[in-house]
Amino acid sequence: MTVPNSREPLITLQRLSISFGHVLALREIDFYVSPGEVVALLGDNGAGKSTLAKILSGVITPDCGTIRFDGQNVSLTSPHHARQLGIETVYQDLALIPLMSIARNFFLARELCHNRGPFSFIDHQAMKQQTENALQDIGIKVKDVDEPVVSLSGGERQSIAIGRAVHFGSQLLILDEPTSALSIGETRKVLKYIDEARSRGLGVIFITHNLHHVFEVSDRITILHHGQIAGDFPCNQISLEETAEMIMGAPPPAHLL
Amino acid sequence: MTDTGNATAPHQNKVSLRGRMRKYPETGVLLGFMAVFLGFALAVPETFLSSNSISSILTSQAVPGIIAIGITLLMISGEFDLSVGSIMGVSSLVFLYTAVEGIHVLIAALFAITAGAAMGLTNGVLFITTGIPSFIITLGTMLVYRAFSLTAISGGRIVRYADYSSRNPTLDVSAWILIVCATGFCLFVAWIGHSSLRIAIRNVRNSLTFRSFLHASIWLSLYFALSSFVVATASLFSNRLFETISIDLFYILNGRILTEWIGGNYRMSILWWLLLTGLFGVLLINTRYGNAVFATGGNANAARAQGIDINRVRVTNFTLSGTLAAVAGIIQAARLKSVDPLRGEGMELEVIAAVVIGGTLLKGGYGSVVGSAIGTTLTGMLRTGLVLVGIPSNAFHGAMGAIMIAAVIINSFVSRRN
Repeated sequence: MTVPNSREPLITLQRLSISFGHVLALREIDFYVSPGEVVALLGDNGAGKSTLAKILSGVITPDCGTIRFDGQNVSLTSPHHARQLGIETVYQDLALIPLMSIARNFFLARELCHNRGPFSFIDHQAMKQQTENALQDIGIKVKDVDEPVVSLSGGERQSIAIGRAVHFGSQLLILDEPTSALSIGETRKVLKYIDEARSRGLGVIFITHNLHHVFEVSDRITILHHGQIAGDFPCNQISLEETAEMIMGAPPPAHLL
Repeated sequence: MTDTGNATAPHQNKVSLRGRMRKYPETGVLLGFMAVFLGFALAVPETFLSSNSISSILTSQAVPGIIAIGITLLMISGEFDLSVGSIMGVSSLVFLYTAVEGIHVLIAALFAITAGAAMGLTNGVLFITTGIPSFIITLGTMLVYRAFSLTAISGGRIVRYADYSSRNPTLDVSAWILIVCATGFCLFVAWIGHSSLRIAIRNVRNSLTFRSFLHASIWLSLYFALSSFVVATASLFSNRLFETISIDLFYILNGRILTEWIGGNYRMSILWWLLLTGLFGVLLINTRYGNAVFATGGNANAARAQGIDINRVRVTNFTLSGTLAAVAGIIQAARLKSVDPLRGEGMELEVIAAVVIGGTLLKGGYGSVVGSAIGTTLTGMLRTGLVLVGIPSNAFHGAMGAIMIAAVIINSFVSRRN
């Protein structure tokens, strides 16, 4: 596979495989993302996109294959570990805790604390302040970060999950169908956040079914078919129709061979 | 522009009842509490507002109240524990059996707490390894743990402390050790709180508002209380520094207090209940662990994706629930000085009902330790109040059930979308 010479990829997967029981979910996957690059990961249902995303975010461990991250071989053993490396994932529906406040959700599992003797207590004031600032930075408006997430609309929730990921994800951002439940206006915003993340130099993996969104923000397209890489093309060399054909199992178009 | 500005401003300032309830789970039960309290206070003021009935409500509810703390944590993390009554029974049994064997009562208490923690841990480990709903697991262990008590004390006998010893167990220490311990404890608390005190005072200097003033005065009075505690302890024993002081341990656990001032039957157990409620309230609201508990019950998958070890949270909460049931068992045993094989039977349902009335959601993710304390008090008030009004005491369970269903209906309104 071709790797741009200018910069070493942020993350490189080589010959990655995983099976669940008798089902080979991913077979010998080679995949990479460079810093400041948006890679669309496409494929039909069951092609293995979400499995790949889960491997990259440390939720499941592959059977074999190597993962190189930031120039070093790593094994992503847990979500916590992946986050320490700077990999943040936004899942389509399991992102936030409905009855917890925006600020608590924002800092969930990495709460800001102040130490009092041997104990350490959550610093609510600092968390609220920083949540407000961080959301403002990427252009997300909320009324009150003390409000529970349940009082927000689907789009507002998704933008907070993405805002959190952009804020903490120092390296790689994985978005698993972030726009599937959103209105058109909300989708616009999400695509804007992706653009924003790229300009900050993050690598972004964008998983979606909507090809129009793909062509709007992505630099490169990787297509999965039955657990294998079916193609990997720069966005400007393949058309929307050709991509759709390939997702459904057609061979790569002749001009790209 | 000015039009919309005027139109939205009052709307934003107005906090809806639902919004308030979402922030403070105690809101609902507090309203219910006031309604029931006022009802009884108006119906039977002489008897209901007497020191006797208030003290008996608080004293009798301290034991379920302590168990309710553990159940609250567990329920917020999305699980159930029906075995707490049985755990309480076994723990009290371990406590008194070891105490009457001549083992020091502090060590007996340690054994009992270990037993409670072990039974809770068993529940938790069974739950995470099998994945069977905790309702079923703890229904099973409830019967198993009850069988421990029933087989240990054959034939419905009662173990009485008085049958073995005529005087309460004591801890004998020199007075100066007491003074050192009291001072050490106060210095420790002062050390933990000193930066909060500094911040509170700085806030008052920066802007004197009611809130900042209240905050600072709470901290200042805490420090005042601490230092007066040390001074009082020191002056109490100053002229007999090397005398041996006998501390009545049953008294410390559950002796009468305030009797000479306001009469009634107030007991130490109420203080333990308040102390534990405060401690676990702070744990739940102000620590990482508390956040993890809410997240685990609120959306386990999201919590796991954010890197929370949800199984560890669950096992810890089952263990805490067992431990607190043991503490409650010890405190009750110290007052009754006896234990029978059916100790704690039916406690689980009363406690779960009180916790639900207190605003904690059955499915988890929402609730409060303080709410549970209010809920437990409300339950006790109902029991005493109904008798005082002249309604047959058997109607109590019916009334409690009705209130519980009302509480669940109110709570489900909180977790729904706007």
